[in-house]
This record gives sequence, structure tokens and C-alpha cells, in this order.
Amino acid sequence: MKTAFCFDLDGTITHSEVLPFLAREINLFDEMEALTMATICGHLPFDKSFKLRVRILNTIPISRVRSIIETIPLHKKVVDFLREHREQCFIVTGNLDVWINALAEKIGIEAFSSKADFDGDRLLGVKHILNKGDAVDEVRSRGFDRIVGIGDGMGDVPMFAKSNVGIAYGGIHDPAKTLIENSDFIVYSENSLCRTLNTLL
Amino acid sequence: MQNIKHVVIACAGYGSRLGLDMPKCMVKLGGRTLLSYILEIVKDIEDIRIVVGFKEEMVEAEAKRINPNVVIVRNPDYRTTTNAYSCYLASKDLKEPFIIVDGDMIIDKLDFAKFLETIDGNASIVGICKSKTTDAVFVNLDGNGNVIEFQRERPQEYEWCGICYLKNIKIHIDGRYVFDEIIPHLPLPTFEFKCFEIDTPADLEIALANFYKLNY
Repeated sequence: MKTAFCFDLDGTITHSEVLPFLAREINLFDEMEALTMATICGHLPFDKSFKLRVRILNTIPISRVRSIIETIPLHKKVVDFLREHREQCFIVTGNLDVWINALAEKIGIEAFSSKADFDGDRLLGVKHILNKGDAVDEVRSRGFDRIVGIGDGMGDVPMFAKSNVGIAYGGIHDPAKTLIENSDFIVYSENSLCRTLNTLL
Repeated sequence: MQNIKHVVIACAGYGSRLGLDMPKCMVKLGGRTLLSYILEIVKDIEDIRIVVGFKEEMVEAEAKRINPNVVIVRNPDYRTTTNAYSCYLASKDLKEPFIIVDGDMIIDKLDFAKFLETIDGNASIVGICKSKTTDAVFVNLDGNGNVIEFQRERPQEYEWCGICYLKNIKIHIDGRYVFDEIIPHLPLPTFEFKCFEIDTPADLEIALANFYKLNY
């Protein structure tokens, strides 16, 4: 059996949510955190909330965002797993390509993400928002016959719906209720996540 | 003990005969849940897998509170599936031997520690206890204390207690009972536990009365 692992980025690979982390730069951490948590829990639809949050953050030059994202703390053991199995691991994130590509390169695995509309170093808006279920279809079309999805929020529900195995990860905060209802496993620590991943190789 | 990587604790069922509106592993004894006692005795095992179903949020919160390193395995079909199916879900991806413990029991703490020491990794071990009821699954033993048969008709001195160490024994997706899966591999060595399963209000009374003997 050929297994692929599709990882949400925010709070699953990274130790904190990316957009609030960025919002520190413009002193809007609390505001961004509130919007982000409401989105994770499903109180706001991801696409609308994401466009709004990008609008708030688009005063920061893209190059600056990339360098901030490179400093975001990562779950070290999760990153070790990604690096050891890079041919079968993918990042699946609603975040923008221009922001997270450098991080994906640093980790060394392929990322599926939303697409930005930009002009040089200036972010103009969101061109395409990733449906995480479509990313799973794409991964499956490459010859994987079992897909394992790993995530924590409402945005990961379409990914779990198309995956064979769903692992809800509550390392930072409790996973969204609807995501739990679509999951096979729930883990609350990096250790138990990696242990479970290893049984699925 | 070095051979034991995984333990499966089955906590998905209704507990309909107990008549309490909660999973049986959440029943309290001496001010603590049954699950908390089980998590105490398995704490040195690396991979602790708890199968949840009925009122899963209650069990998840209690498990996370006690040990955030556990793995929760969901059985959303708990209404229509068996305990063996729950164990199948938790064990199907495991490549090493594993222990199964029913989530609705209280087990003598020292007995369980001795059980872990006894496991040498060479053979599966079947947990038994002195027969307490007439509707039990009885075990017939040979002269060396090995199980040679499970049956419900002819009462014996010992019954199957829902605890086992399984090496090279798989729980199948359509398995009815865990002991059914063990039958093709008999005879197997046994380990005797002092333990109390809590299925009915009367069982709970007995467990409460005997709790002080269980070394907690």
C-alpha cells in the first residue's frame, strides 16, 4: 500500500497560527487571533475570513512576511517526520503561496496552497482559495492508494472527507468539533501524533 | 516488559445494563473514574490507545486530562458494532504485539504490574479471573494452566476477564468477540488477575466493597 500524508500547516506543522503571528508586526495580534479562532471553529466561513485577514495584512511587504514566517516556531518532531518521508508528505494549506513557499522549501516538501495576486513585493489580494479536498484528489492521482489527513480546524474537513484516515490534532487548541466527527484518531501531543503517523507508514 | 509497545483500552460501548447515562469507564470508584485507574496501571506503555464511541467527548476530556500522550481511536459505529470491532480499529495498523484491556473494569494494580513483567514476548497470554457469575465465558485449563477452551455452558473455576497480550493474533473486522479470535491459537498460557468488571449495578456494589483489596 502506498500512503501519502497531507498536513495542514497552521498549528499542525507550525507551533502557532501563522496569521496572528504575522499580525504582531502591525500590532493587531489579538484582533487577528479572534478572527482566526472563529474561523477554526467554523463561526466564519474560511474564504471570507481569509480574504478579510489578508486585507488586514497586505500592508506588510511580501518579502517581510516571508522572513517573519521563516522564524515561526515549528513542531520539531513533525518536521523530522516530514523530512524523513518527504516523497509521501505534502503541506495542504489555505495560506498564500507567496507567504509560505519559502517555509515549504526550508522543510523540503511540496505544498498545495491558495494563490496570491501580487505586484512585485506588494500583495494585491487573493486569486484562488485552495479547497483542501481538491488537493487530496491531486495527491491521490499521483498513485497513492491511502491518504492520511492531519489537521485541526474546520478548513480541514474537506481534506478529511476525501482522505482514507483523518487524524485530528489538538496540540495547540482542541480540534474543531466537526473535524473530530470526521476523524479516525484524535491526538493531543506531538509525540502521540508522530507515534500514530509511524503506525500508518 | 521491553516487548510491550501498545495497549488498547476499549471504552466505546453503551453500558446499557448499568443504567447510568455515561460510558462505563467514566463510572467513579473511590472518587475517581475507572479510566483513571486503568491509565495509572498502563502508564509505562509507550502507545496507549483508547477506543471511544458512546459520549466520546466525556472520555476524550478525561483521557486528555490524565495523559495528553494517549491516542484516541474513534468508533462512531459503536451502536451497531462489537467490542471486538473497536479493538480491530485500534490494532489494525499495529505491527507489534499489543495488550487489550476492557475499559469497564478495575484491575488489581500489583497484578497488572506482575502481568507486564511476565510477558516475555514469546507467546500470547490470556487473562483470567476466578468465576464470579453464571453467564461468564468460562475457560477450561489443562494441567499446566494453559487455556484449551472457551465456552459458556459448563461453569469452571476461571473465566475470561477481557485482558490479554496478543502476539501474532489479529482482531478481524468481522470478529464477534476478542476471545473468538484467540480460539484458533489455543492452547495458550494464562495470567490470573484480581479484577472486577462493571456491567450491572450489582457489579458496581461488589467492586465498591472489594476496592480496598486492589492495591491502589
